[in-house]
Amino acid sequence: MQNLFAFLRRFRVFIFFTALQFICLFFYVQFVAYPKSIFLSTASGVNGRIQKWEGGLTNHFLLEENNRKLRLENAQLRKRVFVNFYKHERPTHRIKDTLYEQEYSFVPAEIIHSSSARRNNYFTINIGEIQGIKKNMAVISPNGVVGIIFKVGKHFSLVKSVLTQDINLDVIVGKDGPHGLLKWDGYNPRIGIVTGVSSDLNIKKNKAIYTLGASGIFPKGLKVGTIVSKSRVEDQALWKIEVLFSEDYRTLQSVYVVNSLLQKELKSLQLEIPEDPE
Amino acid sequence: MKNIISYSALFGLFFCLQVFIFNRLEIGFGAQIFILPLFLMILPFETNVFGLMTLGFLLGISVDAFSNTYGLNASSLVLFAYLRPIVFESFRPREGYDPLKIPTASDMGWDWFLVVFGILFVSSLLWYFVWEIFRFTEILLVLRNLFMSVLVSAVAIGVSQFFFFNGRKKK
Repeated sequence: MQNLFAFLRRFRVFIFFTALQFICLFFYVQFVAYPKSIFLSTASGVNGRIQKWEGGLTNHFLLEENNRKLRLENAQLRKRVFVNFYKHERPTHRIKDTLYEQEYSFVPAEIIHSSSARRNNYFTINIGEIQGIKKNMAVISPNGVVGIIFKVGKHFSLVKSVLTQDINLDVIVGKDGPHGLLKWDGYNPRIGIVTGVSSDLNIKKNKAIYTLGASGIFPKGLKVGTIVSKSRVEDQALWKIEVLFSEDYRTLQSVYVVNSLLQKELKSLQLEIPEDPE
Repeated sequence: MKNIISYSALFGLFFCLQVFIFNRLEIGFGAQIFILPLFLMILPFETNVFGLMTLGFLLGISVDAFSNTYGLNASSLVLFAYLRPIVFESFRPREGYDPLKIPTASDMGWDWFLVVFGILFVSSLLWYFVWEIFRFTEILLVLRNLFMSVLVSAVAIGVSQFFFFNGRKKK
C-alpha cells in the first residue's frame, strides 16, 4: 500500500497528464467516429447563436461576390420558369402529370461557420431539426456539391464538407464516362482527387466531373469540377485524376440542403440485394 | 490578486483572438496561426504544472468548441503544459530563474525564448497535426502543415513579443 502511494506521488504529474489527454482524445475520436451529440460543436444552441451573430458581421465582406453568384443562379432559374415560355398548345383541362414526379426538394441555408485549412473541414449552417433536416442529407451550392449533413441540432446543423478525409462521393467523368470516387488529399482546398478509374480508359483534360447519384443522396448530374491533370497510381492500373472544384469553398455562403423524397424506397430496394455467398 | 485578474483578461483575449480572428484567416497551403501556446508560455515561472495543464485544457477545449476541432487544441495545449517545466529545467540559467521575471522574449532574451518556445511549440503542433490527420500515408501532409503553421505563427507571435510584452523590461 505504501508503495502504491509512493508510486502515485512520484508519477502524479504524468498520471494527471494522461487523464487529461484521455479526455481530450476521447472527445475527438467520439466526434470523428461516432457523431452523436452536438455538445462542444458550433451546431450547439448557444455556440451557434454566437457564430451566427459573428457570421452576420463578417458576411458583409463577401456580400458582393455572393450577390453575383445568386444573381447568376436566378438568371439561370428564370429561364426555366413556366410563365416565360410561350405556350404552343392551350390545354383546356388540367392533366395530372404522371411522367414526372418530384424527386428532390431543396431547403436554402446560410453557412455561418466554415474552415478550409484543416484536414477535416466542417461547415455550420443555420437550419436544423425544426426545418426538417436529417442526418446524411446532401448539401449543394449553385456551383456544385458541398457535403453531407453530419450532425443535426435544433436550429443548426454541421455539414461534413467535400474537404474531409473520407468523403468518398461517387462521381462520373463526363455525362456518360467511367465512374470514380471523389476524395480530398488535404493539400489544396480548390483541388479534389478522383480515384478508381481504370487506366486503360482515355481521360481528357478539361472534361467535367458530375455526381453519379448512385446512393440517392445527391441528385444525379450536379457539376463537381473539371479535370486539371491525371497521373498513374503506383502499382495499380488506375488513374489518379486531379479535379478543380467548380465551387470555391473558401468564400461559399449560400447553400441548399437536398431532401431526397424517394430515398426511402431506394434504400429498401437496395437492402434486397443478396449478400455474396462466402 | 492583480496578477490573477490580468492573466484572466489575457485568457479571454487569447480566446477571442484565436476564435474570431486567427481561425478566420485563410492563408492557404495548410497554414494556420496558433497563438494559444503563447498564453501557457508567459505564465510565471513558479506556476504549478497541474495548474498549467488545467489552464491549457480549459483554454483548448473552449477554443475547440468554437472551431469544430473537439479536444485537439486542448490535447496539444496539455502536452505543451506538461513539457514546459521539463524544457524550462533543461534550459535553466546558471543562477536559476529570477522570480521577478516572466518567460517572455524581453525578460529572458531572444536566444532563450526562441529555443525554449520553439521546442515546446513545434512538439505541441506536431502532436496536433498527427492526431488531426492520423494516417501514416499522409506524413508529408503533416510535415507541410506543421512547417507552414510554425512559419506563420512565428510571425504572429514574434510581432506580439515586440509590441505587447515589451513594456516590462527592467534594467
